Amino acid sequence: MRKELKEYNFDWMLWNAFASAARLKSGTEKEYQNTLKYIPYFKGVVEPIMECGEPGRKFLEMSAKYLENIVHAKERGFKTAVTTFCFSPAIFYAMDIIPVGLEVISVMMTFTYKRGTADFLDFCNEAGFTETSCSSQRGTIGAYLAGVGAEIDLIVTDSPGVCDTNANAFAFASAYLDKPFFQLDMPPDLTGERSDEYHREDYKALIKFLEEHTGKKLEPEKLKACLDELQKQDNIIAELEEMARIIPSPIPVVYNLFVYASRFLFAGMPECTLVLESMLKNASENAALKRPGLKSGREKIRAFFCYIDHYAQNLQLWQMLEREEISYCGNILSRLWAENVPHVKEYGKEEAAYSVDTASIDSMINTLAGINSRMPMIKSIRGPYDAPNMWLEDTLALAKMYSTDVIVYNGTPGCRNTWGMVKLLARDTEAAGYPTYIMYSDAFDERVQSWEATEERFLEFLKVRRII
Amino acid sequence: MITAGIDVGSLTSKAVIMKDGKILSSIILKSKPRPWESADLAINGVLEKTGLSMKDINCCVGTGYGRDKIPFIHQARSEIACHAKGARWLMPSARTVIDIGGQDCKVMKLDEKGEMVKFITNDKCASGTGRFLEVMAKAMGVELSELGELSARSKNPVTLASACTVWAQADVIQHLNEMIPIEDIAAGINNAMASRVATLVSSIGIEKEVCMTGGVAKNSGVVSSLEKTLGIRIKKIRRDDPQLAGAIGAANYAETLLNGGKI
Repeated sequence: MRKELKEYNFDWMLWNAFASAARLKSGTEKEYQNTLKYIPYFKGVVEPIMECGEPGRKFLEMSAKYLENIVHAKERGFKTAVTTFCFSPAIFYAMDIIPVGLEVISVMMTFTYKRGTADFLDFCNEAGFTETSCSSQRGTIGAYLAGVGAEIDLIVTDSPGVCDTNANAFAFASAYLDKPFFQLDMPPDLTGERSDEYHREDYKALIKFLEEHTGKKLEPEKLKACLDELQKQDNIIAELEEMARIIPSPIPVVYNLFVYASRFLFAGMPECTLVLESMLKNASENAALKRPGLKSGREKIRAFFCYIDHYAQNLQLWQMLEREEISYCGNILSRLWAENVPHVKEYGKEEAAYSVDTASIDSMINTLAGINSRMPMIKSIRGPYDAPNMWLEDTLALAKMYSTDVIVYNGTPGCRNTWGMVKLLARDTEAAGYPTYIMYSDAFDERVQSWEATEERFLEFLKVRRII
Repeated sequence: MITAGIDVGSLTSKAVIMKDGKILSSIILKSKPRPWESADLAINGVLEKTGLSMKDINCCVGTGYGRDKIPFIHQARSEIACHAKGARWLMPSARTVIDIGGQDCKVMKLDEKGEMVKFITNDKCASGTGRFLEVMAKAMGVELSELGELSARSKNPVTLASACTVWAQADVIQHLNEMIPIEDIAAGINNAMASRVATLVSSIGIEKEVCMTGGVAKNSGVVSSLEKTLGIRIKKIRRDDPQLAGAIGAANYAETLLNGGKI
């Protein structure tokens, strides 16, 4: 790893970058414009986010706060836990533990730095972790393995059996850093008393693990407060989802990212609610004025991403969607399975949804288990015994509901979970009448394929299939 | 109506000049590091052959990796579109076009009107591209153009341990050191190449007629190995050099532009 990367902690630098960015609009417009000149790369992220107005500023503030929490955890007396985007952080917040979500931090770095997480990806290999693993964990874990991040206390994941590549990253980190490690398992079924019982016992073991390593008992009232806040967030997201059905969509393209990132960072915390409320306000105004969320004011087509986005520097995916006047109908990261979201009702999937029940500690644990077993990778990609075609069914249902013109998959063989199945998925979505594009690119590592090449092939696809 | 098409590829640059749908002249050159240098050389070379000058060209369309950097073109068009268009001109009955270029491989499906309806490109890897063959030919000390002929004489083709270019090259050197007949090594190389491409072709679905464009189309060893692997006949392009498909397609697009069409 390059020597200069060891000079400062990466998360400290990232925190400073986001904290400064969030304050950029505090002065005059002239000051803002002048400052942008000094951040030639990062301004590609800052500008489009700030152009969103209040939601953008709040989003940057929230991102900065998340990083600040990590950087200052020790001096403030908190423990830190490395975790995954498939794991709702609400339980950590309820137990005063600072979550360190590997994938979301990788996205932040990929957005921000010209070289993205390249050096840390490579450090993982130096340390002995396989180069064929998923880059989303590797980008950030590499920094922690190299000792250039905040101190990590615990490692907690829920991906074994769901995405073993993901789970391996946590197992490796635990062994390399010699840190306590807990893995929640997923039972073979999504629903049913047998699964609920399995989850409850597993969660109780997790809580015991967390209590043991933090020296603090779980306070049911704190957990209730988090879940009440989470319920509020779910309600707002349900409203945003409902509005996304309007043609043209009043939802700006970048809101999808804001929704899922906010949940991954601060589910159950007011920081997330503030961003969501601000988005809801703006989107409602757009809807009332029949104004599209696209800056050009024109919606040519609507695209649904059946997996994740591409996080190349400068929000290039979102900028392309804006430029080409493509409304973004979201991806699987932004879809939650609360009982009140539109797609649950529309497709009669009530049995697969979760509800928030704060009546007792057991019901709250059931709620947490319900949320976690319906997190993006877990719900859509896994395919449990009682819903083996979940990814396809969800994709088709959502594509239909949001009147999408094209379905896009973005990934590489690095994502064994999806790459192994995506061609069959595309075969079936095509058969159902949706042009489906398999975008070959690593969302976190531009060295696999540059965004420019990825974009060119995607636009060619739209042209060839006469979609645009 | 005189049109020009220029295809600045990663390994070679091609240019054609067409008049009323017929090729007046063409050229294939090694690409220079800068696309505009390659484009200048190609256009000047092809103009020289005809005695025409740039001002005689009514419209010029560019394609290939360096297309956006060609200063004298009227419009740029993607390689996929140009190769499909060019293949259609070269073989009007073609429905499946396999194009193996210097650093990529694409398969395109055309409808009965010659419109492209589907395409697939290789992932980032040199194996399955012209570059793979070039590296292997160099390792064997033979000309690239000899590979096809050599492999036709093979009695017992070797199996390369990996389709990765670097590892395959190590294998080739190993086989040479073991005094394996050069024909068998050449056939092994062509088979390795064909098997990579066959996977891509099969995944998009084959529809007759099938033709091949790009420089590798001139390697009879790869073509015959592909035919065997896929169990199909690949119709040979005879109208002109299959390596010119991209440039021809670009010139065709130039004609469409001149006729007031949108490309």
